[in-house]
Amino acid sequence: MAEELSACERRPWVEATETPFVRIKGITKMFGDLAAVDDVSLDIYRGELFCLLGGSGCGKSTLLRMLAGFETPTAGTIEIDGQDMAGVAANLRPTNMMFQSYALFPHMSVEKNVAYGLLREGVPKPEAMQRTADMLSMVKLDGFANRKPHQLSGGQQQRVALARSLIKQPKLLLLDEPLGALDKKLREETQFELIRIQEDLGVTFIVVTHDQEEAMTLSTRIGVMDAGKIVQVGEPREIYETPNSKYVADFIGSVNIFDGEVDVAAPDLMRVNTAEGAIVCEPMAGLTAKQKLHIAVRPERMQLSRTPIEAANTMRGMVMEVAYMGNLSVYRVQLPGGQCLKVTAANGLHDENPITWDEEVHIGWSAAASTVLVK
Amino acid sequence: MKYRLTTALIALAAAGAVQAQDNVLHVYNWSDYIAEDTLEKFTAETGIEVTYDVYDSNEVLEAKMLAGSSGYDVVVPTSDFLQRQIAAGVYGTLDKSKLPNLANMDADLMAGASAYDAGNEHAVIYMWGTTGIGYNVAAIAERLGDDFEVDSWSLIFDPEISAKLADCGISLLDAPTEILPAAMNYLGLDPNSSAKADFEAGAALLETVRPNIRYFHSSQYISDLANGDTCVAVGWSGDVFQAQARADEADNGVEVAYVIPKEGALQWFDMLAIPADAPHPDAAHAFINFIMDAQITADITNYVWYANGNAASMSLVDEEITSDPGIFPTEAAKAGLWASTVYSARTDRVISRLWTRVKTGQ
Amino acid sequence: MSNSKLARRFVIAVPNIWLILFFMIPFLVVLKISLAEPRIAIPPYSPLWEWVNGEIKFNINFENYAYMWEDTLYINAYLSSIKIAAISTLLTLLIGYPMAHYIARSPEPKRSILLLLVILPFWTSFLLRVYAWIGILKTKGILNAVLLWAGIIDEPLIIMQTDIAVYIGIVYTYLPFLILPLYANLVKLDDTLLEASRDLGASRISSFFRITLPLSMPGIIAGCMLVFIPVLGEYVIPALLGGPDTLMIGKVLWTEYFGNRDWPVASAVAIVMLIIMLIPIMVLRRAQSKGAEI
Repeated sequence: MAEELSACERRPWVEATETPFVRIKGITKMFGDLAAVDDVSLDIYRGELFCLLGGSGCGKSTLLRMLAGFETPTAGTIEIDGQDMAGVAANLRPTNMMFQSYALFPHMSVEKNVAYGLLREGVPKPEAMQRTADMLSMVKLDGFANRKPHQLSGGQQQRVALARSLIKQPKLLLLDEPLGALDKKLREETQFELIRIQEDLGVTFIVVTHDQEEAMTLSTRIGVMDAGKIVQVGEPREIYETPNSKYVADFIGSVNIFDGEVDVAAPDLMRVNTAEGAIVCEPMAGLTAKQKLHIAVRPERMQLSRTPIEAANTMRGMVMEVAYMGNLSVYRVQLPGGQCLKVTAANGLHDENPITWDEEVHIGWSAAASTVLVK
Repeated sequence: MKYRLTTALIALAAAGAVQAQDNVLHVYNWSDYIAEDTLEKFTAETGIEVTYDVYDSNEVLEAKMLAGSSGYDVVVPTSDFLQRQIAAGVYGTLDKSKLPNLANMDADLMAGASAYDAGNEHAVIYMWGTTGIGYNVAAIAERLGDDFEVDSWSLIFDPEISAKLADCGISLLDAPTEILPAAMNYLGLDPNSSAKADFEAGAALLETVRPNIRYFHSSQYISDLANGDTCVAVGWSGDVFQAQARADEADNGVEVAYVIPKEGALQWFDMLAIPADAPHPDAAHAFINFIMDAQITADITNYVWYANGNAASMSLVDEEITSDPGIFPTEAAKAGLWASTVYSARTDRVISRLWTRVKTGQ
Repeated sequence: MSNSKLARRFVIAVPNIWLILFFMIPFLVVLKISLAEPRIAIPPYSPLWEWVNGEIKFNINFENYAYMWEDTLYINAYLSSIKIAAISTLLTLLIGYPMAHYIARSPEPKRSILLLLVILPFWTSFLLRVYAWIGILKTKGILNAVLLWAGIIDEPLIIMQTDIAVYIGIVYTYLPFLILPLYANLVKLDDTLLEASRDLGASRISSFFRITLPLSMPGIIAGCMLVFIPVLGEYVIPALLGGPDTLMIGKVLWTEYFGNRDWPVASAVAIVMLIIMLIPIMVLRRAQSKGAEI
């Protein structure tokens, strides 16, 4: 097993070389007239760390709760490891969940919290206690066994929750905003800790998060959800570089979006008219003239200069705001047509005379940097 | 019909709030012990508004009287309780000039009452009666046979007989100074004895039949007898007759009868008296004088079926009542009646302890 | 003194004045009477001190307390009160807990209606409701009529004037006092804790006993004390529904006061009852401060 490649090395989703570990087929969940989850189908492979990413109310948590067995789907099926989960109660599923609030039992010590799952399973007490001690040392909580949850810091509570959800060695671990309650620094540390544990144990993780950075860092693949539907599934790079819709582009990282319509859609030239002028893109099949679409350009793909720029696309504008972020600066540039662009530029070591407020600047980017979004 | 016009609390508050000269009167009387229209007529005649509260035990009345400042103007203690409450200074002397109707009273009965209140200085007779046995005729016949004659305390004090009646319910008055002497009398002891040993013997007798007694209460038995919820009740003559009347009225097939047992029974007098601290003594005198009116007393007797001490009213009392030996005992029965005894505080304590023991089965 | 200081003193003074006026003074009066001797007089007990021949003479005697030891009635009454209070508290808990749990787990509009139904009986006089039970439980009452009619029993059940009637009356009367604090506790229970328990393999029943029940302990204790403490001194229910052998300290107190007119012994009984009640009150306070910790 030790030699087995991890999921991100195998990449089974590329050519469907494996049977998916979790198969979600046409799942719908209605709350009254509202479809919280709307006809979602998704395959997740063994050993993946899959992130469900979306804003609040997009249905990601509901989907997770259906996997855990806390909600019954209105339609569709869920298979885990080849077994249909319909009618299988939450306490009988091969999954465990780590709750956003951690849901630690306040009246039990850390040790009792962690051992809870084993003891309910009928594991003999000495063995359960041994495994609990091992688990606590894995999450670096030796010496905290007899504390009550309210005597722990947020980070410690988070690790107790993780330990408790892993103690039964579930085939599938569901994590609902696992890092949401931690401060930024702790969150970054814990992200890598989570990846380490996931790879060590080889457990399949499904993580729900609204934090795109977290999703990018953690996951083998991301499923972006909006209004109950999965809008795009892909590896982090794929999602970032080639978003398939304005929603995804907007959600993942920052982006400048131009609304426009196709002017020329030839095999060798692709040009779109927007309120700020024509934008040239990489040629793309299946588009027709006058078609309404969006162009997305990442801020770091744009160049900014006081002097004119040699590029497929150039524009001029006025710097409205500068935000100094240390390694880079973020500029907000007002274009003549009224749109505001966000442009990032790396800060040089001894930039004596950086671009600042109220300066007129040139902006440029390549055709390849212009992502065409039909949706 | 019960006149529970207001609670004692309101009476107290009212007594404190209004001047003594106000046209109001606070009466504290036994429950079910007045005619329906007596108070109305009194108010119509005198313009005095009456607040009327009720109790069902001499002990409760005494507790309130000894606490002082009860706020009541007229109360109705039984003769033996009256005597020691007079000694404790509870009652004021009557102003006989304000009681012209005293002339209506039966001289013999008033002389009898003067044994408790020398010279009838503090009280006049309201009603009098006996403490005997009320019973459900059909229920007794069903359990003891049609030929069984109910004429003896053995109905209660013989454990074999009372055990047969336990299922349909036997109740005793919650009045130790009436039930214990009856038990002593049944044992052949002197019902007027103050000897501790005699009371202990009476209590021991009661304890033998205790499992057959459903409850001790001094007013509930009226409705329970009438409804058939109990079938034997040691009770006050008039109350049993009221139960009888209610059963007749309800036409529920329950026939209630009252008997003065052949071994004898307690004869008692309930006396109208005015507390020394009564806020409205004039109105109180007016009320007592009004009650002594021949027609008014006759109306009450006709309603509550208790004998009164008013000679002038006798011609106005229903024949049905005057001829009932349960209300006006025959000469033979009269011989067996005993009067209530006044006990010292020490005897009183012995009695109340024994009584608590009997009641709780402890 | 500044206004706010005055206001603060006032705020502190109000409960203290309240306690002195309505607890300390009556308590001292009762304590004083408990040390006196009974008399047939107004008032019916000896004064604490008297002037005898120009000398002050104190009448303090502890006979009444000693008497309570001599006569087993009082100890038995206390024990029986504790027994009745404990059993009825347990019965109330067994009935009230599922009700509180159900209400706390109900969705919003229904929950408010159910809570209203719990509180609704308070709109009728307590005495009236106890009298209503007499009508239901008596030998020729509604319950027996229904059971006889349905053919479940052949002979009417004798419930009135028994301890069973007392338990029915107490459980009925005090149920809301148990349900409300328990509901307030259970409604705060985090659903995700139960989900976590289920997720870790515990059945619904096991989750209830391991999570819901221990976490609702402060509510259980508060509710039980709110039943246990007043039931310990209950007079009306045993007097109206109970039989003569229903031995409760409230009834003994009443008998001492009104029946025996022995105020000193009645006061001694009351003082001892108060001391006995302090124990559960202290348990309650400890539970509450512990509850606040969690």
